[in-house]
Amino acid sequence: MVTESSLVERKLSLPDKWVDTHTFDNTLCRCGDVLGPFVTGVIVDIPPNCKLMIDVIVRLLSLCNQLSACTKRVRLHFGDAGTAIGYLNRMGFFDHLAAAVEVYPHRPTLSGATIHRGSNKGLVEIERFNRSVPADKTLAPRLAETVKRGWPDRADRNAIESASFSIFSELIGNVYEHSGPGLDAYAALQTYPQAKKVTVTVSDSGMGIMASLKPAFERKGLTSMSEVAILVEMFRRGISSKEEGNRGLGLMTSGRHAIRFNADLDVRLLNQRVLLRPSQDTYQPHMAYSQEQLPLLWGTHISFSFRLD
Amino acid sequence: MDGDTKPWGRELGRVTAERLVSTISTGPEKHLVKLSMEGVEQIDASFASEAIAEVIGRYRKKIGICLVDLSDDGIRFNIDMAAAHVGVPVTVWNGSQVDILGAKPSSGNREALNYALERREVRASEFADVAGISIANASTKFKSLWDNGFLMRVETAADSGGVEFLYRRIG
Repeated sequence: MVTESSLVERKLSLPDKWVDTHTFDNTLCRCGDVLGPFVTGVIVDIPPNCKLMIDVIVRLLSLCNQLSACTKRVRLHFGDAGTAIGYLNRMGFFDHLAAAVEVYPHRPTLSGATIHRGSNKGLVEIERFNRSVPADKTLAPRLAETVKRGWPDRADRNAIESASFSIFSELIGNVYEHSGPGLDAYAALQTYPQAKKVTVTVSDSGMGIMASLKPAFERKGLTSMSEVAILVEMFRRGISSKEEGNRGLGLMTSGRHAIRFNADLDVRLLNQRVLLRPSQDTYQPHMAYSQEQLPLLWGTHISFSFRLD
Repeated sequence: MDGDTKPWGRELGRVTAERLVSTISTGPEKHLVKLSMEGVEQIDASFASEAIAEVIGRYRKKIGICLVDLSDDGIRFNIDMAAAHVGVPVTVWNGSQVDILGAKPSSGNREALNYALERREVRASEFADVAGISIANASTKFKSLWDNGFLMRVETAADSGGVEFLYRRIG
Protein backbone atom coordinates (compact mmCIF):
# COMPACT_ATOMS: atom_id res chain seq x y z
CA MET A 1 0.00 0.00 0.00
CA VAL A 2 1.38 3.37 -1.02
CA THR A 3 1.31 5.80 1.88
CA GLU A 4 2.13 9.44 2.05
CA SER A 5 5.37 8.67 3.87
CA SER A 6 6.55 6.35 1.10
CA LEU A 7 6.28 9.06 -1.60
CA VAL A 8 9.51 10.88 -2.30
CA GLU A 9 11.10 13.49 -4.48
CA ARG A 10 14.39 12.52 -6.09
CA LYS A 11 17.36 14.56 -7.19
CA LEU A 12 19.26 13.87 -10.39
CA SER A 13 22.59 15.64 -9.95
CA LEU A 14 24.55 15.84 -13.15
CA PRO A 15 28.33 16.29 -12.76
CA ASP A 16 30.07 19.57 -13.46
CA LYS A 17 31.89 18.33 -16.55
CA TRP A 18 31.22 16.65 -19.90
CA VAL A 19 28.37 14.18 -19.58
CA ASP A 20 28.12 11.31 -22.03
CA THR A 21 25.47 8.58 -22.05
CA HIS A 22 27.48 6.35 -19.73
CA THR A 23 27.81 9.12 -17.15
CA PHE A 24 24.16 10.06 -17.56
CA ASP A 25 22.98 6.54 -16.85
CA ASN A 26 25.33 6.20 -13.87
CA THR A 27 23.87 9.41 -12.49
CA LEU A 28 20.36 8.15 -13.14
CA CYS A 29 21.20 4.92 -11.29
CA ARG A 30 22.21 6.89 -8.21
CA CYS A 31 18.94 8.75 -8.45
CA GLY A 32 16.83 5.63 -8.73
CA ASP A 33 13.71 4.65 -10.65
CA VAL A 34 12.22 8.11 -11.12
CA LEU A 35 9.39 6.84 -13.31
CA GLY A 36 8.32 4.49 -10.53
CA PRO A 37 5.13 4.91 -8.48
CA PHE A 38 6.79 6.16 -5.30
CA VAL A 39 8.41 9.20 -6.84
CA THR A 40 6.36 12.37 -6.83
CA GLY A 41 8.91 14.60 -8.46
CA VAL A 42 12.44 15.01 -9.72
CA ILE A 43 14.88 17.88 -9.40
CA VAL A 44 17.49 17.85 -12.15
CA ASP A 45 20.55 19.74 -11.01
CA ILE A 46 22.70 21.02 -13.90
CA PRO A 47 25.83 22.77 -12.58
CA PRO A 48 27.46 25.76 -14.34
CA ASN A 49 30.13 23.85 -16.24
CA CYS A 50 28.06 20.83 -17.07
CA LYS A 51 28.31 20.03 -20.77
CA LEU A 52 25.87 17.54 -22.15
CA MET A 53 26.56 15.48 -25.25
CA ILE A 54 23.78 15.72 -27.81
CA ASP A 55 22.47 12.21 -27.20
CA VAL A 56 22.30 12.95 -23.46
CA ILE A 57 20.35 16.14 -24.18
CA VAL A 58 17.77 14.26 -26.20
CA ARG A 59 17.47 11.47 -23.61
CA LEU A 60 17.12 14.02 -20.82
CA LEU A 61 14.40 15.75 -22.86
CA SER A 62 12.57 12.44 -23.30
CA LEU A 63 12.92 11.65 -19.59
CA CYS A 64 11.58 15.05 -18.50
CA ASN A 65 8.60 14.74 -20.83
CA GLN A 66 7.89 11.20 -19.68
CA LEU A 67 7.99 12.31 -16.05
CA SER A 68 5.69 15.21 -16.82
CA ALA A 69 3.29 12.93 -18.67
CA CYS A 70 3.15 10.82 -15.50
CA THR A 71 2.14 14.00 -13.61
CA LYS A 72 5.36 14.06 -11.62
CA ARG A 73 6.73 17.45 -10.74
CA VAL A 74 9.93 18.15 -12.69
CA ARG A 75 12.28 21.00 -11.88
CA LEU A 76 15.43 21.83 -13.81
CA HIS A 77 17.95 23.80 -11.79
CA PHE A 78 20.71 25.56 -13.74
CA GLY A 79 23.71 27.34 -12.24
CA ASP A 80 23.51 31.12 -12.44
CA ALA A 81 26.59 31.70 -14.56
CA GLY A 82 26.55 28.48 -16.46
CA THR A 83 26.56 27.93 -20.19
CA ALA A 84 24.41 24.83 -20.15
CA ILE A 85 21.11 26.66 -20.31
CA GLY A 86 22.31 28.73 -23.26
CA TYR A 87 23.45 25.68 -25.18
CA LEU A 88 20.25 23.76 -24.48
CA ASN A 89 18.25 26.78 -25.65
CA ARG A 90 20.34 26.94 -28.79
CA MET A 91 19.57 23.28 -29.49
CA GLY A 92 15.83 23.78 -29.06
CA PHE A 93 15.58 21.82 -25.81
CA PHE A 94 13.10 24.23 -24.24
CA ASP A 95 11.02 24.39 -27.43
CA HIS A 96 10.11 20.74 -26.93
CA LEU A 97 10.16 20.55 -23.14
CA ALA A 98 6.74 19.92 -21.59
CA ALA A 99 5.16 23.17 -20.44
CA ALA A 100 4.69 21.85 -16.90
CA VAL A 101 8.41 21.35 -16.35
CA GLU A 102 9.76 24.14 -14.16
CA VAL A 103 13.05 25.78 -15.13
CA TYR A 104 15.22 27.74 -12.67
CA PRO A 105 16.33 30.52 -12.65
CA HIS A 106 13.79 30.81 -15.48
CA ARG A 107 12.81 29.29 -18.78
CA PRO A 108 14.34 31.24 -21.69
CA THR A 109 11.79 33.64 -23.16
CA LEU A 110 13.21 33.48 -26.66
CA SER A 111 14.08 30.31 -28.50
CA GLY A 112 17.72 30.24 -29.50
CA ALA A 113 16.94 27.46 -31.96
CA THR A 114 14.28 29.51 -33.71
CA ILE A 115 16.51 32.56 -33.95
CA HIS A 116 19.63 30.79 -35.15
CA ARG A 117 18.23 27.71 -36.89
CA GLY A 118 20.46 26.59 -39.73
CA SER A 119 23.17 29.15 -39.06
CA ASN A 120 25.61 26.79 -37.40
CA LYS A 121 26.89 24.27 -39.85
CA GLY A 122 28.03 21.99 -37.09
CA LEU A 123 24.71 21.11 -35.56
CA VAL A 124 21.10 20.35 -36.29
CA GLU A 125 18.70 21.66 -33.69
CA ILE A 126 16.42 19.10 -32.09
CA GLU A 127 13.69 18.13 -34.51
CA ARG A 128 10.46 16.73 -33.17
CA PHE A 129 8.28 14.19 -34.88
CA ASN A 130 5.34 12.05 -33.86
CA ARG A 131 3.90 9.02 -35.56
CA SER A 132 0.43 10.53 -35.35
CA VAL A 133 1.58 13.06 -37.97
CA PRO A 134 3.07 12.05 -41.35
CA ALA A 135 6.83 12.46 -41.43
CA ASP A 136 8.23 15.70 -42.77
CA LYS A 137 9.92 14.43 -45.91
CA THR A 138 12.54 17.17 -45.78
CA LEU A 139 13.71 16.05 -42.33
CA ALA A 140 16.24 13.36 -43.26
CA PRO A 141 17.75 15.34 -46.18
CA ARG A 142 18.09 18.47 -44.00
CA LEU A 143 19.83 16.54 -41.26
CA ALA A 144 22.20 14.94 -43.73
CA GLU A 145 22.97 18.21 -45.49
CA THR A 146 24.09 19.71 -42.21
CA VAL A 147 26.65 16.98 -41.79
CA LYS A 148 28.04 17.75 -45.22
CA ARG A 149 28.17 21.50 -44.50
CA GLY A 150 30.07 20.82 -41.31
CA TRP A 151 32.95 19.20 -43.16
CA PRO A 152 33.47 21.26 -46.33
CA ASP A 153 37.09 20.27 -46.82
CA ARG A 154 36.67 16.52 -46.65
CA ALA A 155 36.98 14.59 -49.89
CA ASP A 156 34.39 12.05 -48.67
CA ARG A 157 31.77 14.61 -47.57
CA ASN A 158 29.29 13.33 -50.17
CA ALA A 159 29.66 9.81 -48.83
CA ILE A 160 29.22 11.09 -45.29
CA GLU A 161 26.07 12.96 -46.31
CA SER A 162 24.73 9.86 -48.02
CA ALA A 163 25.37 7.71 -44.96
CA SER A 164 23.83 10.31 -42.63
CA PHE A 165 20.76 10.54 -44.85
CA SER A 166 20.24 6.80 -44.69
CA ILE A 167 20.86 6.54 -40.97
CA PHE A 168 18.43 9.31 -40.13
CA SER A 169 15.77 8.14 -42.56
CA GLU A 170 15.91 4.56 -41.34
CA LEU A 171 15.96 5.43 -37.63
CA ILE A 172 13.10 7.90 -38.03
CA GLY A 173 11.21 5.39 -40.15
CA ASN A 174 11.80 2.80 -37.47
CA VAL A 175 10.13 5.03 -34.89
CA TYR A 176 7.06 5.25 -37.10
CA GLU A 177 6.93 1.50 -37.47
CA HIS A 178 7.84 0.24 -34.01
CA SER A 179 7.41 2.83 -31.29
CA GLY A 180 3.66 2.65 -30.90
CA PRO A 181 1.49 5.66 -30.06
CA GLY A 182 2.88 8.04 -27.47
CA LEU A 183 4.96 11.09 -26.79
CA ASP A 184 7.02 12.94 -29.35
CA ALA A 185 10.23 11.53 -30.75
CA TYR A 186 13.34 13.57 -31.48
CA ALA A 187 16.28 13.68 -33.85
CA ALA A 188 19.39 15.83 -33.58
CA LEU A 189 22.99 16.07 -34.66
CA GLN A 190 26.14 17.65 -33.33
CA THR A 191 29.64 17.72 -34.74
CA TYR A 192 32.57 17.75 -32.33
CA PRO A 193 35.49 19.08 -34.41
CA GLN A 194 38.13 18.72 -31.73
CA ALA A 195 37.18 15.10 -31.14
CA LYS A 196 36.72 14.68 -34.91
CA LYS A 197 33.37 13.06 -34.56
CA VAL A 198 29.74 13.56 -35.47
CA THR A 199 26.96 12.23 -33.28
CA VAL A 200 23.58 11.47 -34.76
CA THR A 201 20.78 10.67 -32.34
CA VAL A 202 17.14 9.60 -32.57
CA SER A 203 14.99 9.03 -29.50
CA ASP A 204 11.41 8.00 -28.96
CA SER A 205 9.30 7.34 -25.85
CA GLY A 206 7.44 4.30 -27.11
CA MET A 207 7.25 0.77 -25.86
CA GLY A 208 10.82 -0.07 -26.77
CA ILE A 209 12.10 -1.92 -29.77
CA MET A 210 12.57 -5.23 -27.99
CA ALA A 211 8.90 -5.42 -27.08
CA SER A 212 7.74 -4.60 -30.60
CA LEU A 213 10.00 -7.22 -32.14
CA LYS A 214 9.21 -9.96 -29.61
CA PRO A 215 6.87 -11.88 -31.95
CA ALA A 216 9.63 -12.11 -34.52
CA PHE A 217 12.11 -13.35 -31.93
CA GLU A 218 9.78 -16.10 -30.83
CA ARG A 219 9.05 -17.11 -34.43
CA LYS A 220 12.74 -17.41 -35.18
CA GLY A 221 13.48 -19.27 -31.95
CA LEU A 222 15.68 -16.47 -30.60
CA THR A 223 14.21 -16.26 -27.11
CA SER A 224 17.29 -17.91 -25.60
CA MET A 225 19.60 -15.20 -26.94
CA SER A 226 20.58 -12.30 -24.69
CA GLU A 227 19.18 -8.89 -25.49
CA VAL A 228 22.67 -7.72 -26.43
CA ALA A 229 23.04 -10.57 -28.91
CA ILE A 230 19.60 -9.86 -30.35
CA LEU A 231 20.44 -6.18 -30.67
CA VAL A 232 23.64 -7.02 -32.55
CA GLU A 233 21.68 -9.28 -34.89
CA MET A 234 19.15 -6.52 -35.55
CA PHE A 235 21.91 -4.20 -36.70
CA ARG A 236 23.85 -6.86 -38.58
CA ARG A 237 21.15 -8.79 -40.41
CA GLY A 238 17.80 -7.35 -39.38
CA ILE A 239 15.01 -9.15 -37.61
CA SER A 240 11.54 -8.64 -38.95
CA SER A 241 8.52 -7.77 -36.86
CA LYS A 242 6.12 -8.43 -39.70
CA GLU A 243 5.30 -11.58 -41.65
CA GLU A 244 6.46 -10.03 -44.91
CA GLY A 245 10.09 -10.52 -45.85
CA ASN A 246 11.01 -6.91 -46.47
CA ARG A 247 10.83 -5.78 -42.87
CA GLY A 248 13.70 -5.59 -40.43
CA LEU A 249 15.71 -3.62 -42.95
CA GLY A 250 15.95 -0.24 -41.23
CA LEU A 251 18.30 -0.99 -38.36
CA MET A 252 20.44 -3.27 -40.47
CA THR A 253 20.84 -0.57 -43.10
CA SER A 254 21.71 2.13 -40.62
CA GLY A 255 24.21 -0.23 -39.02
CA ARG A 256 25.87 -1.03 -42.35
CA HIS A 257 26.23 2.66 -43.17
CA ALA A 258 27.63 3.46 -39.77
CA ILE A 259 30.18 0.66 -39.95
CA ARG A 260 31.65 2.17 -43.11
CA PHE A 261 32.66 5.17 -40.98
CA ASN A 262 33.75 3.11 -38.01
CA ALA A 263 30.90 4.49 -35.89
CA ASP A 264 30.17 3.53 -32.33
CA LEU A 265 26.55 2.58 -31.76
CA ASP A 266 24.88 3.48 -28.47
CA VAL A 267 21.41 2.10 -27.74
CA ARG A 268 19.40 2.83 -24.62
CA LEU A 269 16.61 0.33 -24.09
CA LEU A 270 14.01 0.36 -21.32
CA ASN A 271 16.38 -0.84 -18.58
CA GLN A 272 19.65 -1.37 -20.38
CA ARG A 273 22.23 0.50 -22.35
CA VAL A 274 24.44 -1.15 -24.96
CA LEU A 275 27.50 0.35 -26.61
CA LEU A 276 28.74 -1.44 -29.70
CA ARG A 277 32.18 -0.72 -31.10
CA PRO A 278 33.01 -1.83 -34.66
CA SER A 279 35.18 -4.89 -34.99
CA GLN A 280 36.31 -6.36 -38.31
CA ASP A 281 33.89 -4.17 -40.22
CA THR A 282 30.85 -5.25 -38.23
CA TYR A 283 29.25 -5.10 -34.80
CA GLN A 284 29.83 -8.18 -32.71
CA PRO A 285 28.45 -9.27 -29.32
CA HIS A 286 31.88 -9.68 -27.77
CA MET A 287 32.67 -6.03 -28.56
CA ALA A 288 29.55 -4.81 -26.76
CA TYR A 289 29.60 -2.94 -23.49
CA SER A 290 26.37 -3.31 -21.56
CA GLN A 291 24.95 -1.48 -18.55
CA GLU A 292 22.20 -3.58 -17.04
CA GLN A 293 19.34 -3.01 -14.59
CA LEU A 294 19.14 0.68 -15.30
CA PRO A 295 16.21 2.79 -14.14
CA LEU A 296 13.35 2.74 -16.58
CA LEU A 297 13.49 5.13 -19.52
CA TRP A 298 10.67 4.50 -21.96
CA GLY A 299 11.40 4.15 -25.65
CA THR A 300 14.42 3.40 -27.78
CA HIS A 301 17.27 5.86 -27.93
CA ILE A 302 19.85 5.29 -30.63
CA SER A 303 22.94 7.28 -31.41
CA PHE A 304 25.79 6.76 -33.83
CA SER A 305 29.08 8.53 -33.38
CA PHE A 306 31.08 8.72 -36.59
CA ARG A 307 34.80 9.05 -36.31
CA LEU A 308 36.08 11.39 -38.96
CA ASP A 309 39.85 11.16 -38.73
CA MET B 1 8.59 11.32 -57.80
CA ASP B 2 6.63 14.55 -57.96
CA GLY B 3 9.91 16.43 -58.13
CA ASP B 4 11.22 14.89 -54.90
CA THR B 5 14.83 13.94 -55.60
CA LYS B 6 15.50 12.54 -52.11
CA PRO B 7 12.57 10.23 -51.34
CA TRP B 8 12.83 8.05 -48.24
CA GLY B 9 10.79 5.77 -46.08
CA ARG B 10 8.57 2.80 -46.59
CA GLU B 11 5.33 4.74 -46.89
CA LEU B 12 6.50 6.88 -49.78
CA GLY B 13 8.06 3.77 -51.29
CA ARG B 14 4.65 2.06 -51.32
CA VAL B 15 2.99 5.04 -52.95
CA THR B 16 5.70 5.11 -55.60
CA ALA B 17 5.34 1.38 -56.15
CA GLU B 18 1.61 1.75 -56.74
CA ARG B 19 2.21 4.38 -59.35
CA LEU B 20 4.88 2.31 -61.04
CA VAL B 21 2.63 -0.74 -61.14
CA SER B 22 -0.20 1.36 -62.51
CA THR B 23 2.05 2.69 -65.26
CA ILE B 24 3.40 -0.75 -66.13
CA SER B 25 -0.04 -2.32 -66.13
CA THR B 26 -1.61 0.15 -68.51
CA GLY B 27 -0.94 0.52 -72.20
CA PRO B 28 0.39 -2.14 -74.54
CA GLU B 29 1.82 -5.39 -73.23
CA LYS B 30 5.42 -5.02 -72.15
CA HIS B 31 8.27 -7.46 -71.70
CA LEU B 32 10.92 -4.98 -70.64
CA VAL B 33 10.82 -1.82 -68.54
CA LYS B 34 13.78 0.47 -67.93
CA LEU B 35 13.59 2.68 -64.85
CA SER B 36 15.79 5.73 -65.10
CA MET B 37 17.40 6.95 -61.89
CA GLU B 38 18.45 10.23 -63.48
CA GLY B 39 17.87 13.18 -61.17
CA VAL B 40 17.48 11.02 -58.09
CA GLU B 41 19.92 12.34 -55.52
CA GLN B 42 19.27 10.01 -52.58
CA ILE B 43 16.98 7.18 -51.58
CA ASP B 44 17.13 5.04 -48.50
CA ALA B 45 16.92 1.26 -48.35
CA SER B 46 13.35 1.23 -47.06
CA PHE B 47 12.16 3.28 -50.02
CA ALA B 48 14.21 1.12 -52.40
CA SER B 49 12.73 -2.01 -50.88
CA GLU B 50 9.14 -0.95 -51.58
CA ALA B 51 9.52 1.07 -54.79
CA ILE B 52 12.17 -0.98 -56.58
CA ALA B 53 12.82 -4.43 -55.12
CA GLU B 54 9.18 -5.29 -54.44
CA VAL B 55 8.06 -4.10 -57.90
CA ILE B 56 10.82 -5.99 -59.69
CA GLY B 57 10.06 -9.10 -57.65
CA ARG B 58 6.35 -8.78 -58.40
CA TYR B 59 6.93 -9.02 -62.15
CA ARG B 60 9.61 -11.70 -62.00
CA LYS B 61 9.41 -14.09 -64.97
CA LYS B 62 6.76 -11.88 -66.59
CA ILE B 63 8.29 -8.47 -67.22
CA GLY B 64 11.99 -7.69 -67.03
CA ILE B 65 12.63 -4.47 -65.11
CA CYS B 66 16.08 -2.94 -64.94
CA LEU B 67 17.59 0.31 -63.74
CA VAL B 68 19.51 2.76 -65.90
CA ASP B 69 21.33 6.03 -65.25
CA LEU B 70 22.39 4.94 -61.79
CA SER B 71 25.79 6.37 -60.95
CA ASP B 72 25.54 7.31 -57.27
CA ASP B 73 27.36 4.87 -54.99
CA GLY B 74 25.18 5.66 -52.00
CA ILE B 75 22.00 4.85 -53.90
CA ARG B 76 23.56 1.67 -55.30
CA PHE B 77 24.53 0.61 -51.78
CA ASN B 78 20.98 1.06 -50.49
CA ILE B 79 19.35 -0.69 -53.46
CA ASP B 80 21.83 -3.53 -53.09
CA MET B 81 21.00 -3.98 -49.39
CA ALA B 82 17.26 -3.66 -49.89
CA ALA B 83 17.10 -6.11 -52.79
CA ALA B 84 19.42 -8.62 -51.09
CA HIS B 85 17.24 -8.55 -47.99
CA VAL B 86 14.21 -9.73 -49.95
CA GLY B 87 16.11 -12.00 -52.33
CA VAL B 88 15.50 -10.00 -55.51
CA PRO B 89 18.18 -9.44 -58.17
CA VAL B 90 18.23 -5.97 -59.73
CA THR B 91 19.87 -5.53 -63.13
CA VAL B 92 21.59 -2.19 -63.45
CA TRP B 93 23.00 -0.70 -66.66
CA ASN B 94 25.59 2.03 -66.93
CA GLY B 95 26.04 2.53 -70.64
CA SER B 96 27.04 -0.90 -71.90
CA GLN B 97 28.16 -2.09 -68.47
CA VAL B 98 25.75 -4.37 -66.63
CA ASP B 99 25.76 -5.29 -62.96
CA ILE B 100 23.46 -7.24 -60.66
CA LEU B 101 22.58 -5.71 -57.29
CA GLY B 102 20.77 -7.49 -54.51
CA ALA B 103 20.35 -11.25 -54.64
CA LYS B 104 23.30 -13.17 -56.03
CA PRO B 105 23.20 -16.42 -57.99
CA SER B 106 24.29 -19.65 -56.37
CA SER B 107 27.94 -20.51 -56.83
CA GLY B 108 26.96 -23.21 -59.29
CA ASN B 109 25.06 -20.78 -61.51
CA ARG B 110 27.45 -17.85 -61.38
CA GLU B 111 29.40 -18.81 -64.47
CA ALA B 112 26.24 -19.33 -66.48
CA LEU B 113 24.94 -15.93 -65.45
CA ASN B 114 28.20 -14.21 -66.35
CA TYR B 115 28.09 -15.93 -69.73
CA ALA B 116 24.54 -14.74 -70.32
CA LEU B 117 25.26 -11.17 -69.24
CA GLU B 118 27.99 -10.86 -71.85
CA ARG B 119 25.57 -11.66 -74.66
CA ARG B 120 22.23 -10.39 -75.78
CA GLU B 121 20.72 -13.86 -75.71
CA VAL B 122 21.95 -17.40 -75.13
CA ARG B 123 20.86 -20.99 -75.55
CA ALA B 124 21.61 -23.68 -73.01
CA SER B 125 23.29 -25.73 -75.72
CA GLU B 126 25.81 -22.95 -76.44
CA PHE B 127 26.83 -22.68 -72.81
CA ALA B 128 26.98 -26.46 -72.48
CA ASP B 129 29.61 -26.52 -75.26
CA VAL B 130 31.66 -23.76 -73.67
CA ALA B 131 31.46 -25.08 -70.13
CA GLY B 132 31.86 -28.71 -71.06
CA ILE B 133 28.66 -29.83 -69.35
CA SER B 134 25.55 -31.59 -70.55
CA ILE B 135 22.76 -29.65 -72.22
CA ALA B 136 20.41 -30.85 -69.48
CA ASN B 137 22.73 -29.47 -66.83
CA ALA B 138 23.03 -26.13 -68.64
CA SER B 139 19.25 -25.98 -69.05
CA THR B 140 18.78 -26.51 -65.36
CA LYS B 141 21.16 -23.65 -64.58
CA PHE B 142 19.48 -21.20 -66.92
CA LYS B 143 16.02 -22.21 -65.77
CA SER B 144 17.08 -21.56 -62.22
CA LEU B 145 18.42 -18.13 -63.17
CA TRP B 146 15.13 -17.37 -64.91
CA ASP B 147 13.08 -18.65 -61.95
CA ASN B 148 15.01 -16.41 -59.60
CA GLY B 149 14.74 -13.29 -61.73
CA PHE B 150 18.26 -12.95 -63.11
CA LEU B 151 17.27 -13.54 -66.72
CA MET B 152 14.25 -13.42 -68.97
CA ARG B 153 13.38 -16.12 -71.48
CA VAL B 154 11.35 -16.59 -74.63
CA GLU B 155 10.13 -19.81 -76.13
CA THR B 156 11.27 -20.67 -79.64
CA ALA B 157 11.14 -23.64 -81.94
CA ALA B 158 14.19 -25.85 -81.71
CA ASP B 159 15.92 -27.15 -84.84
CA SER B 160 14.90 -30.61 -83.72
CA GLY B 161 11.24 -29.56 -83.86
CA GLY B 162 10.71 -29.29 -80.16
CA VAL B 163 10.71 -26.28 -77.87
CA GLU B 164 13.83 -24.36 -76.96
CA PHE B 165 14.30 -21.37 -74.72
CA LEU B 166 16.30 -18.27 -75.48
CA TYR B 167 17.59 -16.68 -72.27
CA ARG B 168 18.11 -12.94 -72.22
CA ARG B 169 19.71 -10.50 -69.81
CA ILE B 170 17.26 -7.91 -68.54
CA GLY B 171 17.78 -4.72 -70.51
